[in-house]
Amino acid sequence: MHEASIVGSLLDIAVKECRERGFNKIASISVRVGKASGVMPEALLFAFDAMKAETIAAGASLAIEEVPVSGYCDACRADFTVEEEFILSCPYCGGSSFRAQSGRELDIIELEVD
Amino acid sequence: MKFKVASKILDANERIARENRKIFSDAGVYVINLMSSPGAGKTSLLENTIKGLKGGMGLGVIEGDIMGTDDAVRIENLGVPVVQINTGGACHLDANMINEVLGDLPLKDIDILFIENVGNLVCPAEFKVGEDIKVMILSIAEGHDKPLKYPLMFQESSALLINKVDLKPFLDVNVEKIRRDALSLNPSVKIFEVSCRTGEGIDQWIQWLQTLTS
Repeated sequence: MHEASIVGSLLDIAVKECRERGFNKIASISVRVGKASGVMPEALLFAFDAMKAETIAAGASLAIEEVPVSGYCDACRADFTVEEEFILSCPYCGGSSFRAQSGRELDIIELEVD
Repeated sequence: MKFKVASKILDANERIARENRKIFSDAGVYVINLMSSPGAGKTSLLENTIKGLKGGMGLGVIEGDIMGTDDAVRIENLGVPVVQINTGGACHLDANMINEVLGDLPLKDIDILFIENVGNLVCPAEFKVGEDIKVMILSIAEGHDKPLKYPLMFQESSALLINKVDLKPFLDVNVEKIRRDALSLNPSVKIFEVSCRTGEGIDQWIQWLQTLTS
């Protein structure tokens, strides 16, 4: 729902990183978005296309890598990945003593510049 | 050419949230980020809390709303320092909005600062503002399916107040399911059943608040 403020931060970071390296045009930005981050890739793309105009990323594409939700169970020592956006119990032993391992990511991982 | 960047997109917010946190802890202020859907009873809970504490503790409130000052007026009428933030459309408070109003509060006189977030069951859970803990309210009229539909806020909250329990006779809501699902998502969440209208359960909530700062 707040993808516009996320894209604002994303563009700020990308523009700064690009300029610090002496470049003036961003060709693509790669981001990693966890399925439990609450951010919808479609909404992120929509906001990105709307907000990139009049920045040095005006011609840039946005590549989104989705990260599934995974956890580690302290009871049965299993690593597991779930389809859902949240973990209610360990899929192996049904226990509740698990720790989330991934799924909340919201990171910029790569920039391509000209 | 390509190069790797390892940067959290919300890093700027988290940095300012850490700054706020330091300012609060230096001033001895315990901060609660209060979140819920619109109309679940955030301001009513604050009114009950202020009355229940009967001046036994220094309180302060930051009100976050898209527009309007109705909530701030309600708090001000009870003699508690309050600052209204209007987000002008944004669906949540962020750390910078809080940072900008810190000078408007008498932090030295405040033991617990409540930050009443914008009414929204999704976005506020994703932005730290410098709080010690997050607390959420779910009113039973919203339905027992909410924990599993909006898991993040239930996972992030240290306490869940289930409000409007005086409406139980009129609703087909399964309060036990709310409890069960909230505990599945967050085994350590502290749950209170309250009614801000009748005052039921408010004493237990206030006792818990007092243990946080003692």
